[in-house]
Amino acid sequence: MDFTFSPEHVALRRMIREFAENEMAPLAMELDREKRVPFETLKKMAKIGLLGVCFPQEYGGMGAGETGYCILMEELGRVCTSTAVNVGTHIGIGATVIYLDGNEAQRKKYLTPLARGEKIGAFVLTESDAGSDAAAIRTRAVRDGDHWILNGTKTFNTNGSYADILTAMAVTDPTLGARGGITAFIIESDMPGFTVGTHENKMGILGSATAELVFEDMRVPHENVLGKVGEGFISFMKTLDMGRLTLSAAALGGAEMALEMAVRWAKTRKQFGVELAHKQSVQWMIADMATEIEALRSLIYRVAWMVDTGQPFSQLAAMCKVYGSEIASRAIDMALQIHGGLGFTRDFPIERAFRDARISEIFEGTSEIQRFVIASNIFREHGVRIRP
Amino acid sequence: MRVVVILGRVLDPGGITVNRRVGRIFINREKYILQPADRCALEAALRIKDSADCSNPTDAEVIALPRGPLPDDDVLRQALATGADRAVYLVGSPAQADDAVMARVLAATVEQLGGADLVLTGATTLDTGQSQLGPRLAEALGWPQIVDAWAVRAAGERVEVVCQNKTGYVIHDADLPAVVTVTPGSLKPRYPDGVRLVNVYKGVGEIAAALEQWEVADLVDAEFLKPLLEQRGRDFPPMRERGARASGTVDEMAQAAADALYRRVSR
Repeated sequence: MDFTFSPEHVALRRMIREFAENEMAPLAMELDREKRVPFETLKKMAKIGLLGVCFPQEYGGMGAGETGYCILMEELGRVCTSTAVNVGTHIGIGATVIYLDGNEAQRKKYLTPLARGEKIGAFVLTESDAGSDAAAIRTRAVRDGDHWILNGTKTFNTNGSYADILTAMAVTDPTLGARGGITAFIIESDMPGFTVGTHENKMGILGSATAELVFEDMRVPHENVLGKVGEGFISFMKTLDMGRLTLSAAALGGAEMALEMAVRWAKTRKQFGVELAHKQSVQWMIADMATEIEALRSLIYRVAWMVDTGQPFSQLAAMCKVYGSEIASRAIDMALQIHGGLGFTRDFPIERAFRDARISEIFEGTSEIQRFVIASNIFREHGVRIRP
Repeated sequence: MRVVVILGRVLDPGGITVNRRVGRIFINREKYILQPADRCALEAALRIKDSADCSNPTDAEVIALPRGPLPDDDVLRQALATGADRAVYLVGSPAQADDAVMARVLAATVEQLGGADLVLTGATTLDTGQSQLGPRLAEALGWPQIVDAWAVRAAGERVEVVCQNKTGYVIHDADLPAVVTVTPGSLKPRYPDGVRLVNVYKGVGEIAAALEQWEVADLVDAEFLKPLLEQRGRDFPPMRERGARASGTVDEMAQAAADALYRRVSR
């Protein structure tokens, strides 16, 4: 058993940390205040290859694997959750779904520009009546010769308003349901019939855009069917497993940042004549945060190693997501408590982190869905099939 | 145009605590970074490679060499990942090698490489504050030298260097080949390229083969490897003077601040 990072991953982390601290940290507060997507940061990341960190070099990626991608998300999560969400949507689900199930031509045509960061990706799943119950989507795709005609409305699409290449799920055979009746399509945002609807007014991750997308008689060529017709739901669920792991890496980064800030504050803030660091109530909070963070880090990088070595990891990815998102929220809550009244002000990044962290327990599968995935895997091993 | 850049490493100042009372430096995290001035020198070298000033940019070659005895080749790999074309790791430099020894070793290395048009290195080190390597190397090679550059342009047979003096900036130039030392903080260094970084650290692809290992013993006779410096002890620099509080009207306070700054600059 060897728990050390390889030299390339150590060097990658050093590079990303420097990038994040120099290029992203100074912007984080401004993005939140102005509700602005950091396109300039995404361009800089593309230039040094970060937007294709996990994909093979033959498709324009960096070739650092899932471990490298988790490192990226952890380091981005440390300084700016919004940017981490933009990047996570682009790589973790938007491009990953094409990498996992695209054929060679689709990978060359769509994955390569995404990995190089020349185009931005998104993943289009949720509808107003199909959130956790993703198989309940109503967007319809009807075959018309060499094309499919898509009609429907999708909600909560991160990157949706400015993405160039999107992958969407639509019903191709209503009689068959999730297995066999749902197909994934690669969509280009300049296809006629594609429109961006309203933007959500969110509580956190304000530096990311979450938009409604409307497909109105949108013609998508048959060659853009991802995987096989009728297997879209499986493609999407597989992709979400990968996305869950890397989102928890971003949550890990957020928790680490909270711990660092809490320690720094406890070293300097004096009450009752001594620094907070000498108060047992604060020491215990710090100890709890550090312990949970360490446990989460071990879990995440073990699962990343399992992905890189081709082992099944679905259940563990769900564990990462539920544990990671809840630990991040808890750690940030404790850090806010240590900061006291100042932590509650907008002058301190803790307040932003507190708002940003909450979404992790909801998107890409709520904590409840993750617990269902874990429980259903456990019961299946014992011969019981449970339903959500 | 062949540019040699000499790079060293230093303990990350963020990972150490200096305790004057007990007279010790505590290393909390043993993490090394590229010497900041050397990193600027690397950036200057890569800008020369990128610039159109070179008659043919594909002919420009950047070769990285180590500044001192290094336990591993990490700084050279960083240079390759950032854009250097070749790097030579020198095996067997004596652990106590000072700038005098390294100047001889590096001069021999440059000759072994078949010469160079320009040698760039940091003007000073972050830890020991040494500024000798560049000038000593120029002496050993018999080349002209310009120290404390803020920007370097090389074209044809000349190198043009922007330096700072007390009143502003001046441009010095020299015939090539020459040695130029670059001021820390003068240029914003670029980030490594992800693909190169992964390949060079994994040891795959063309770029990984660009890292060579040479034996110091093959370059310089052992008698030239005796250091000039001898460490007899360790002390801290004097405590910094306390600042003064200005009073009076805004104009008077501004004048007092300006006078103090002027005294400090002209000291």
